[in-house]
Amino acid sequence: MTISTMRLTGVAAACALISTQAVASDPSLTNPAISAVLDGYYQSAERPMSERVEGFGLGHTEFALSANIDDMFYGKLTAVVEMHDGETELGLEEAFIQTLAMPGGFSVRAGRFLSDIGYLNNQHVHTDAFSDRPAVYRAFLGSHYFDDGVRLNYVAPTDLYWTMGVEAFKGDNMRAADVHGERDFKNLGVYTAFTKIGGDAGDNGSWQAGLSYLRNENGRLTADEHEHVAALDDHGHDHSHSAQYTGENTYVGDFVYKWAPNGNYKYQHLTLSGEYFRVTDFKPIEEHDDHDSHGHGDEGKDYQEGWYLSSVYQFSPHWSAGLRYGQVDTQMMHGDHFDPQKLKETEVSLAWHHSHFSTVRLQYTNQQGTNFDGIEDDNVITLQYVMTLGAHGAHQF
Amino acid sequence: MRINSKHFLSKGLKALTFTLALGTANSAVAGLNIFACEPEYAALAKELAPDAKIYSATTAMQDPHQVQARPSLIAKMRQADLAICAGADLEVGWLPMLQMKSANAKVRSTDQGLFFAAEQIETLDRLESVDRSMGDVHAKGNPHLHFDPKRLLDVATALTAKLIQLDPGTKAEYESSLASFSERWQAAIPKWEAKAQTLQGSKVIAYHSSFKYLFNWLGLEQVADLEPKPGIPPSSSHLAGLLSRAKQGDILAIVIASYQSERGADWLAERSDLPVLILPMSVGGNEQSVDLFGLYDSAIDLLLSAKQ
Repeated sequence: MTISTMRLTGVAAACALISTQAVASDPSLTNPAISAVLDGYYQSAERPMSERVEGFGLGHTEFALSANIDDMFYGKLTAVVEMHDGETELGLEEAFIQTLAMPGGFSVRAGRFLSDIGYLNNQHVHTDAFSDRPAVYRAFLGSHYFDDGVRLNYVAPTDLYWTMGVEAFKGDNMRAADVHGERDFKNLGVYTAFTKIGGDAGDNGSWQAGLSYLRNENGRLTADEHEHVAALDDHGHDHSHSAQYTGENTYVGDFVYKWAPNGNYKYQHLTLSGEYFRVTDFKPIEEHDDHDSHGHGDEGKDYQEGWYLSSVYQFSPHWSAGLRYGQVDTQMMHGDHFDPQKLKETEVSLAWHHSHFSTVRLQYTNQQGTNFDGIEDDNVITLQYVMTLGAHGAHQF
Repeated sequence: MRINSKHFLSKGLKALTFTLALGTANSAVAGLNIFACEPEYAALAKELAPDAKIYSATTAMQDPHQVQARPSLIAKMRQADLAICAGADLEVGWLPMLQMKSANAKVRSTDQGLFFAAEQIETLDRLESVDRSMGDVHAKGNPHLHFDPKRLLDVATALTAKLIQLDPGTKAEYESSLASFSERWQAAIPKWEAKAQTLQGSKVIAYHSSFKYLFNWLGLEQVADLEPKPGIPPSSSHLAGLLSRAKQGDILAIVIASYQSERGADWLAERSDLPVLILPMSVGGNEQSVDLFGLYDSAIDLLLSAKQ
């Protein structure tokens, strides 16, 4: 506790120093942009696999600093302050550099950053229209997957937007559960490849669709010799950003469509988005060697899947409403067999935006769980604020 | 073997250089690929570089403060040789994202293919310090500068210098385009000023500071704003507060831009018996605004229509 407080003081001092400089000079696009996000909430219950606890809490309280380092490199640092069981923890969510002037539409990003797989993953959580990520993100990506690694990206010189990229990550947060701590994990654990295309549909609409693949070298579970030890059971209060359910291969398909009258986003706009995840090859190799010998609902189904569909309509500059349905089907290892489990979430949210920088949100979630971490049908109500201060960040599509 | 491979390599390099040179030559013939953040700068580019391939990221029906960094814009910026934007942080919510995502080194810096109009002139309403409680204001001043004919001419001169810097082979054409535009523009200014003579001293209620430069030039006074604070849309309590001011009998009209909602203006107009004028914010904002000349004609004609 003392150490983390000291670290915080250090960061605060650094901020003060930097902000003085930024104010003193011309606050142009090329000078450090400093911003903070304040996120606080009260909720009636906890959503499974979520970082948000029951009752009062602070969400992603983040502090970001970004700037062009020189004419070749851009750098960004995002520190996240989180409270866990009365402890203040300072985490680094982003600390990356990116090239700005590589020829041919190529760019390289290195350090700690959000993977560009799927649609939502590379977006910052404070821009979401719901207080938590869809269940499929919480199950397979630990809400949002960021890691230490490198990315090579290419944008084609075409009128139809077409980008593709590959990434390699350490993959610590994507490791399969290791109850006994005996496993020899590979330290270059995750590789991804993705492509996205997009364009406009008339004057009012824009769209983007993507396909991603994630290879997780450490995603397969190892056989558990001990009787009835649930490999992944005890994670009701896991705040480590780790994926809860892993597999060797993950396939993601995503799309987003945005609509605004005449393409003018000031007064009204609609966002439709959806993603599908399929996580395969998670069963211990041994399971395959003598398959058909187990009868506990383990029908050789070696994949887990999930999806969501979200619709958010901003009907005036001050108000927006969202509707989202999502579900995730996973397999829980119990000793030598797997039990299927399912979580379905139907959510509505209503948000009030006093300005571009402040949001107060009321959200209702209906959960229906089948064997899911002991979750039966449940209702969750969340009242949340998300406010940004400092530099006006540019948002992604 | 070594010699052979070296020979092969140098041959290959030569072929590559030739192809590259050919590509450059081809692009010079086709003209520059220009990405304009707003339609007024697409129109200005068309005057100054008629052979260029020009794309406007926004229309006069879209609020340039709130634009999505959408895929089509990334794709267009990826191919651009020059990006022309208003600047003064008008595009701060989307331009940096487009630059980042399009990975086009040419339009990264104002030393190269990035051009901010606001950096070429003295903006109005610069602020010493900015606080968010003041609303969404720009410390670098009002960016809607294209409605000041003299400032716009300065921007045109600076833009021509930028075009020549990027495409020196076409210098003579750019210079003659500027001379032609400058001549026509300077001839139009006194005509506009004479026509708008009767507007001098008129008071208007307007939405945002969108027409600050126009009012400043023609001598109109914006006595109230439909927005309680810049960027904050009209609220019913704020509008109710404006009603007594609107009823004083000295207001010419309520002025809004082509991308702004009519709701607040209509509410106030109904109760105060004032006309609502929807002025084109840029080229394409109404039928008359086919180019920059038409845009100025239309804005002045509309203001004059309230005089009768």
